[in-house]
Amino acid sequence: MDNGATMHLAVSLLAGIADPSPGPEFSRLAGSVQKAEAAGLDMVLLADSAPASGGGTANSPMPFEATTLLAALATVTSRIGLVAAASTIAHQPYNLARRFASLDIISHGRAGWHATMAQAPREAANFSRPEGFSPDDFRRRSKEYIGIVQGLWQGWDADALLFDQSGGRFHDPEKMHLLEHKGAFFSVRGPLNVARSPQDTPVLVLSGLSEADLDIAARTADVILLDGGPVEGATARYDDIRRRVAACGRDPDAVKVLTNVAPIADDKPAALAERLEEEFRARGCDGFNILMPAQLSALDDFVDLVLPELGQRGLFRENYRGTTLRSHLGPAGGGDQ
Amino acid sequence: MTARQMKLGAFLWATGHHIAAWRHPKAHVTAGIDIDHYIQLARTAEAAKFDMIFCEDAAGLREANTGIASQTSRSIGFEPISLLSALAAQTSRIGLVSTASTSYNEPYGLARTFLSLDHLSGGRAGWNLVTSASPIEAANFGSTGLKPHADRYERAREFAEAVTGLWQDKQASGHDGQSFSVRDPLDLPRSPQGAPVMVQAGASDVGRDLAARTADVVFTAAQTFEEAKAFYDDLKRRLAAYGREPDDIKIMPGVAPVVAETEAEAREKHEELQALIPDDVGVALLSSYLSISDLWRYPIDGPLPELPESEGMKSRQALVIEQSRRDGLSIRQLARHFAGARGHWRIVGTAAQVADELQARFEGGAADGFNVMPSYFPGELDAFATLVVPELQRRGLFRTEYEGRTLRDHLGLKRPV
Repeated sequence: MDNGATMHLAVSLLAGIADPSPGPEFSRLAGSVQKAEAAGLDMVLLADSAPASGGGTANSPMPFEATTLLAALATVTSRIGLVAAASTIAHQPYNLARRFASLDIISHGRAGWHATMAQAPREAANFSRPEGFSPDDFRRRSKEYIGIVQGLWQGWDADALLFDQSGGRFHDPEKMHLLEHKGAFFSVRGPLNVARSPQDTPVLVLSGLSEADLDIAARTADVILLDGGPVEGATARYDDIRRRVAACGRDPDAVKVLTNVAPIADDKPAALAERLEEEFRARGCDGFNILMPAQLSALDDFVDLVLPELGQRGLFRENYRGTTLRSHLGPAGGGDQ
Repeated sequence: MTARQMKLGAFLWATGHHIAAWRHPKAHVTAGIDIDHYIQLARTAEAAKFDMIFCEDAAGLREANTGIASQTSRSIGFEPISLLSALAAQTSRIGLVSTASTSYNEPYGLARTFLSLDHLSGGRAGWNLVTSASPIEAANFGSTGLKPHADRYERAREFAEAVTGLWQDKQASGHDGQSFSVRDPLDLPRSPQGAPVMVQAGASDVGRDLAARTADVVFTAAQTFEEAKAFYDDLKRRLAAYGREPDDIKIMPGVAPVVAETEAEAREKHEELQALIPDDVGVALLSSYLSISDLWRYPIDGPLPELPESEGMKSRQALVIEQSRRDGLSIRQLARHFAGARGHWRIVGTAAQVADELQARFEGGAADGFNVMPSYFPGELDAFATLVVPELQRRGLFRTEYEGRTLRDHLGLKRPV
């Protein structure tokens, strides 16, 4: 649990072509994200074509690919975390690591990568892999992939760049590290050709976890998204994840567990706030990922009606503590300067 | 109907195109980690009515020798698709063209990413297709070595065909080829400009054929008028075989201007930059263009040794060798020369002198426009925008206002059906 009583809140934006309001798509999305930022939400999760986080909510396709959208949003916001879904099938690990490292610098340390451990059924067929991967291969491949990406993100020490113009030393070659990865699925020499992240490394958000994926998540994730269920089950599950995180030698607070919540259209704000409060106070999670329906107005309603309820109950902080996504996620997240 | 006008690209590269740019006191040394610097450059280029911003790319370090790499600013920078997506939100008219490799991507993902950039920018995106000739990049993608030139281009041809199919026909029944298979159409709406603009830079015989078949814009390196003219005529001639008109492709040679109020000032500025190049950096860069690793073994003040034909950048290698023979240059002289403009055409002079040279190639049928490669940023882009652009406008050679909204509009390209 975080060092206090306040919950972490993310919203998953599925804003898509179903939105009937006029105007360019990007301006509308930007307006919604700015509103979420003004309300102090930890982060916005940008879905991609593959289902973002389970939960049974149908994702309508965004008119944008998530990493490109994240870059554009980064220039019109200044505090909120921006997390893009990107599939391990659609990108080579070196390319994905570069893209997110670059996004993290563009956003001044507010970027995150949302990876799912669940294989999207049709996706591989569009990437010259019509046969896809067996569940076991997909798991082993994902584990190797995540290790490569996080390794590449640490290829440059934080003080590697010297900018010594008169001495002719741009960087210190001793502080640039090759990865030299050779595994069952990939071989990647490195290093990345993007500098170190302002928040140390981009945040890793994992979803689509089966039982067998939990240890991978405990070792690598900064945020874990889980589908909702009965409160009693959530508490046991939360304790289990914290034990696994500790068993990897990490501070249990270094991983934030967020429960996916899909608000129902006729949910009363007070009823939704109560539902969130119950699970949070029962130590079932560190916060919530609100799966927004396709209409952007749903986000406005959440910010205008539900957040004040949570604020009154002392469950949500009013202001950002720092400027990076890691700083929003808490002291154990590290890396905030 | 106004007279034919030239197209201009602003080729952005962290700190500048000159290899020693980062050491120049007026260069922005932290460019590779400063998004606000790029936003400023994009606004400068847009205010000057450039057709597009152009970004190069490599999926790996530029230089295998880590000691040499550490004396250049090339080892770190923004990944260009994320960079241009950010710039899309901060500009409204200028085109946004990024390089991406056919060797280390898949057509579905690349087509989708560029289409998204196209939607974010309201129809201003372009893709510069490269096949990637560097073994340093290959090592980041599981390859044991560089694939032969012809194989890379065969893969590129199939890649370009699949991407164009995805952009142009949402109902396409997939692609099932030698190197790739794609089952579904893209899940994004059609491009605001019909399809993102296709740019290419390969100048070898097989590269020219691929360009004639698929490219809207060709970026090329040509030192002399004759080279530029020969390339221009040859490429335009190849179009007919693919049922295309000469005007369907815009040929934009790279140009590295060093411009100042007086010729003497321009020369001084150029010398100042050349003096900042360490010899081992210049020789290493020259080696990479020649695709050999042991150039440093030869006397630096002697001539180039005889070289075997490479599997790397064939056309660039030939260009270097030809210049060394023609001008009788030593390795050191060649290294400095190529480090400065990387084999591209350099003009040092006043705005009028630069405009004269550009006009001669443009009106002489050797170029449809130019990809401008400022030696350092922001100073030399500012100099081109404030000195050369107004001179070209006075001569009626360049637009004074954008006429359309999309990159295809700016370039005068047909909208694909």
